[in-house]
Amino acid sequence: MSLPRLAREAGLTGCPICGLVVRLTPHRENYCPRCHSHLHARKPHSILTTWALLLTAALLYIPANVLPIMTVVYFGSGQPDTILSGVVHLFENGMWPLGLIVFVASIVVPLLKLIILSYLLISVQRRTPHRRKRRTRLFRLTELIGRWSMVDVFVIALLTTLVQMGTVANVEPGAGASAFAAVVISTMFAAMSFDPRLIWEE
Amino acid sequence: MRRCVTPPLAVCHECDLLQRLPPLSPGHAAHCARCGSVLLRLPRWGMDGELALTLTALILFLLANTFPFMALEIENNREATTLAGAAWALYQHDMPWLSAVVFFTSVAGPALVILSTLHVLIALRWRLDLPMVRTALHALGHLRPWGMIDVFMLGVLVAFVKLRDMAEVVLGPGLYAFAALLLVSAVTASYLEPKQLWNQLGYRQ
Repeated sequence: MSLPRLAREAGLTGCPICGLVVRLTPHRENYCPRCHSHLHARKPHSILTTWALLLTAALLYIPANVLPIMTVVYFGSGQPDTILSGVVHLFENGMWPLGLIVFVASIVVPLLKLIILSYLLISVQRRTPHRRKRRTRLFRLTELIGRWSMVDVFVIALLTTLVQMGTVANVEPGAGASAFAAVVISTMFAAMSFDPRLIWEE
Repeated sequence: MRRCVTPPLAVCHECDLLQRLPPLSPGHAAHCARCGSVLLRLPRWGMDGELALTLTALILFLLANTFPFMALEIENNREATTLAGAAWALYQHDMPWLSAVVFFTSVAGPALVILSTLHVLIALRWRLDLPMVRTALHALGHLRPWGMIDVFMLGVLVAFVKLRDMAEVVLGPGLYAFAALLLVSAVTASYLEPKQLWNQLGYRQ
């Protein structure tokens, strides 16, 4: 017995939460009989929602990189650091491996996520039939790497906690850190709202 | 107790391909025939093993949050912090929003994941009609990406190297518990799949 290729062609869908294969009743709200999740053949308004979240992330990316993420005051003198100047400092002080980690996590990964998700959205809107498997893998990659950008936020939190030595040394978090966390969170939501099944639509 | 209930059919959540699930043995995963995504993964050690791992995670989590994590010494000045202290410091510096994000991803998120896993496993293992098992299982699926103890650990490493230049950094017992927690939860997460827990829970209320 052969199965139809797509669940949608058979009027079925896989529950996104519990994985149960469920028959969809057309023109009605459908709920999973097992876990009661709301069911849709495709995530509703996936393209629009993902574009909106991507745009939000792209706009927030500007203050995240322009505003200081923290200020280190050491014996009375200190300069506000942006994400980029923080990385440059690490390189200047010879901390190459560390500088590379922060550079990749804070600068490369968010940019890469914005680029990959935009590319996926455009390719889906154009209904390109090419490289479907590769595009699905790209999507999986963005889901996997997104959370690692939070590393800088944790570093700022740890430095703020530990470096409180009155007149000797102090770390003040900056507004750029909040904007940066917002970038990471909105790109994570963008990846979650994108429906990879659209890549495979004929 | 080693019951492995697998449904006969699966739909790939990434490419919508309808396919038959092959018979699976514990610890193995079924991949989509077309795009290669993971369709279903069975736990390796059965319910007792998963319970033991999750209990271990809970104990390690409590230890990691009780004992000091890291301390900094400059000229007889010593500043120590616990895990939640990192979020608290941001709150004190007028960044309530950022503080909430850090608290959720490093403390509350992982705690909820561990507790809801434990709740579901206990209900399944002893076939108990506990309240809110379904809510816990839903929560587990949604919360997982937001528990970031692995990313936090990388942050600790970066902060450690940065601070080492300016002062004496002392690593506390909380950090060792946290590192162990990271290992245990990585193992649990790779074998415990919410979808398989739903298969085992079935339709009962």
